[in-house]
Amino acid sequence: MAPTRIVTRLLHASVVVVILLAACGPSAPAPSTSTGPAPVASQAAASNGQYTGTDPQSFSLLLTTENTQVPAELQRLAAGPCAAENAALPLSVQQTPGAQIQQQIQLLASQNSLPVMFNPTQAFIVKDGALQKAGYILDIKKALTDLGVADQILPGAQAVIDQLYPGVSPTLPFQYNIEGIFYNKKIFAEHGISVPQSWDDLVAAATKLKAAGVQPFTAGGKSGWPVSRWIGAYLFRSLGGDAMAAVANKQAKLTDPGYVAAAQTIQDLGKAGLFPVGVASEDLPTAYNDLVTGKAAMEYQGTWLLANINDPAQNTVGLDQIGLLQVPVISGGKGDAGAWPTNVGSPHAINAKLYGPKVGAWLKCIVLHYADNLMTNQTAFSGFKASHPPVLAAPTPGTTPPPVPPLTVEVANDMASAKSSVLWFEALSPSAKFTSDAGANSLLLLNGSMTPLQYMTLLQNDIDNPQ
Amino acid sequence: MNQVLGDRRAILILLGPALLMYSAVMVIPVVWSFGYALFRGNLIEGFTFVGLANFGRLVQDEQVAAAVRFTLLYTLVISTGQIVLGYSLALLYTFVLRRSSSLIRTLVFFPVVLPSVAVGLLFSRLFAVAPNSGPVVSVLDRLGVAPFDFFAAAGTAFWVIILMDLWRSMGFYGVLLYSGLIDIPTEILEAARIDGARGWRLVRSVVLPLSLPVLVSSIIFSLNASLKVFDTIVALTNGGPGSETTPITLLMFQTSFFYSSFGYGSSMAILISVMCFMVTIFIFRSSRRDLTVGGAA
Amino acid sequence: MAGLPAKLVILLLLVIDVYPLFWLVSTSLKSTQEFLNTPFWSLPQSLDFQNYADAWTLGRIGTSLQNSLVVTIPSVVCILLLGAAAGFALEVMIWKGRNTVLLVILGGIMVPSQMILLPLFTIYFKIGLTNTLWPLILTYIGHGLPLTTFLMAAYFRSVPRELFESCTLDGAGVLRSFISVGLPLVRNGLLTVALLMFFSTYNDLLIALTFITSKDMSTVQVGLLNFQGEYGSVLYGPLFAGICMTVLGTLVVYLFLSRQIMQGLAGGALKG
Repeated sequence: MAPTRIVTRLLHASVVVVILLAACGPSAPAPSTSTGPAPVASQAAASNGQYTGTDPQSFSLLLTTENTQVPAELQRLAAGPCAAENAALPLSVQQTPGAQIQQQIQLLASQNSLPVMFNPTQAFIVKDGALQKAGYILDIKKALTDLGVADQILPGAQAVIDQLYPGVSPTLPFQYNIEGIFYNKKIFAEHGISVPQSWDDLVAAATKLKAAGVQPFTAGGKSGWPVSRWIGAYLFRSLGGDAMAAVANKQAKLTDPGYVAAAQTIQDLGKAGLFPVGVASEDLPTAYNDLVTGKAAMEYQGTWLLANINDPAQNTVGLDQIGLLQVPVISGGKGDAGAWPTNVGSPHAINAKLYGPKVGAWLKCIVLHYADNLMTNQTAFSGFKASHPPVLAAPTPGTTPPPVPPLTVEVANDMASAKSSVLWFEALSPSAKFTSDAGANSLLLLNGSMTPLQYMTLLQNDIDNPQ
Repeated sequence: MNQVLGDRRAILILLGPALLMYSAVMVIPVVWSFGYALFRGNLIEGFTFVGLANFGRLVQDEQVAAAVRFTLLYTLVISTGQIVLGYSLALLYTFVLRRSSSLIRTLVFFPVVLPSVAVGLLFSRLFAVAPNSGPVVSVLDRLGVAPFDFFAAAGTAFWVIILMDLWRSMGFYGVLLYSGLIDIPTEILEAARIDGARGWRLVRSVVLPLSLPVLVSSIIFSLNASLKVFDTIVALTNGGPGSETTPITLLMFQTSFFYSSFGYGSSMAILISVMCFMVTIFIFRSSRRDLTVGGAA
Repeated sequence: MAGLPAKLVILLLLVIDVYPLFWLVSTSLKSTQEFLNTPFWSLPQSLDFQNYADAWTLGRIGTSLQNSLVVTIPSVVCILLLGAAAGFALEVMIWKGRNTVLLVILGGIMVPSQMILLPLFTIYFKIGLTNTLWPLILTYIGHGLPLTTFLMAAYFRSVPRELFESCTLDGAGVLRSFISVGLPLVRNGLLTVALLMFFSTYNDLLIALTFITSKDMSTVQVGLLNFQGEYGSVLYGPLFAGICMTVLGTLVVYLFLSRQIMQGLAGGALKG
């Protein structure tokens, strides 16, 4: 064989060897049963009691770019009540667009380089989730109990966490929101519509508004979930609060008649033209804007919308002209009439392997102080206990803050008195694919491109055949 | 002389670095990808060997079938459009504009160099109906067509994608085919004209056959590029509404990175490669003729 | 033959190609409020460049452009050097097995990027390159080499062999003859390939999306895709300005080099 050929082949071979050597490691495909890095238990045995890991160099955060509230508040805490904890373990924030963060989290996890706090997708942190199995997720309820501050989490918020993630408590409830239908009181008054008491009333009101030339509903369809929430809303009224839990536990299927009927009802709303023509392309801020400038009469949203409603720059309708009504009951429907769909914001997990005393101190400080200034700074509610009732920000420093708008007071009361909470449609989603499919295809359902049965079959398939 | 031109050391120095980079970045990963396809899992959980299960799933998966159907439909429509429009433009440049075609050629070509995301965003604004009506919807409104959302239904979204990609690429094919047309000797054209062939007949019986080589090349090039469509669709609809405009390339990307299934994603990558392979074999066949015979026109 | 129908067609082409750009520029000079409330065909009230400033800072277009250039220029330079050398070795030099190697390289042209993404993803992380732009540069070089080598080989083929043979007789080594004789002779081919590689690297999305992990490292395409204001909202004014800046950038390069691009295509290896 000609020498060059040998040389070339040797060259190729050595390259292959070098790369393979560099590539060998736990994440190279190995013909073994699926295992990840060692679980938490063996690590806990080696470290100090309640602390399941060792402290890192900094209190590192990896959050989505869209998540502006948490970094801002934590930075305020670092400069204020948590200055001592910050001195011991400085805060450091890195943000990545939501579309790419799960990719990054996977990479970091596979190399044991996850930061202290990060925004994983739900599917990773449920009991059988990838990150749980690999031992990265701290059981926050247990950690807070050991720190003596477990009661700083509002019972309602903890109830939601327990429903979402039974037995593992993997997320911090930086937000606490109830969901319902925000409506424009002025428009209602102008058209002689009273607050709907039943679902039929709601549809009748919407139809009347449409006939009068007013846009009845609006939704940020571009994100998908603002429309699929409507399906969940109908479901928890027609089949009761356990509707989605039953599906997650395989006791029911989405293709059962009750669920398909819910999808059908929402499709009917779409076909009746009650949503804007461009709903599929409408982004969330525009939808919020529609409501607070009076372009649309009603919008199903969560109480994070208060930030927009209480902002005089955005709200041209009037601070006291937007109301929140509970999703109306359906005659013959099941479930607790007083239940609100509730959520605790996007998941914020703590890395169990980096949970040492300094991180513990930070954690304690956060749960003690996060809620206090959240209303003032961000007009939002969190799942932590505040040491005083909500106070709004003063227009200029030093002057008295304006009175809390009635809607905010009302919401605070509703939250405090809520006896039961209900999960939203994609809450118990088994995979990122389910969440994505549920949202994206809801628009097709809405405009009639997809039948209710097709929609539910697609989703049921995602549940039956997880990736 | 042959010894000099066959100098081993020189060959190694000239060829070595390129071959090294190529092996490291292309060859190894391709082989590795085949490996991935035999496993199921992701980077965090590790991988389990599942043999050919991923491929079994691939052929049964309805979403994969839909994505492949979409890719093939898209390729067919866009390639036809690119070639027809490109050829028409080439005819325009050669026979109508002749010397002064340079300016128009430059003008029609420029969308080719624009970043695809920029073009996608531009078109999504052109056809927008929210937050306010873009130009197209406004004009249609004037003509009596009630505003509707182009991107809410699969059919209309598809045609916007086609329009956008044609806008982007027709200049390229125009120039490519033009280069083939100007090579046609004028004597032949003159002779044909003297024989009475005019206009369309001239094109059909003289121009078309003589420009066949470049036409075939362009068709194959177009097919190959269209099968791999990714950028423009991500920028315009991101596969939506739902997954109605999702080509197999996008589905592979989502499966691997959003749904964390590296194994299944790799099997899709192999599917894409097989589809491209069939078309590219023709490219190789036609270019190999050049290599051995030596020298193209 | 440039009668009325032809003139109409030309006018149509002008409108189709120029109007979208015109609309883009004019809308980018409107504030978001103006955009939302005035009809699409109206001209901006004033030449307000605030949108451009916002796009540059808030929308990080400045960073994106910088990253794109930092990635594209070294990649193209390397691709050209390595590809030209390889093309020379494969076409001009005589050795056994060169056809096989050529075949292997041709195979690379047909490999879609999807095949190499996942393994490269893992390799770069193992080597510890993730928070840098190196994964992009290395991938672009490796990915651009097959086509470049093929094209450079074709260009070298069109150079008469006697030129190389004669200069070796003069006692110059092959390497010297490559650098001082071969490269200058395919100057035009080099420029054409450089342009081709520049645009395909600059405009790449798939590889960039895979390997870019933070917003500070985004290239132009990824930056545009993730273009968002402070609260995840879409700021329409700066969005248009952002699109404009990226479009005008490539347009300027194009206008300077359009003749070269056209010639390259016209004389290209695709004629069949």
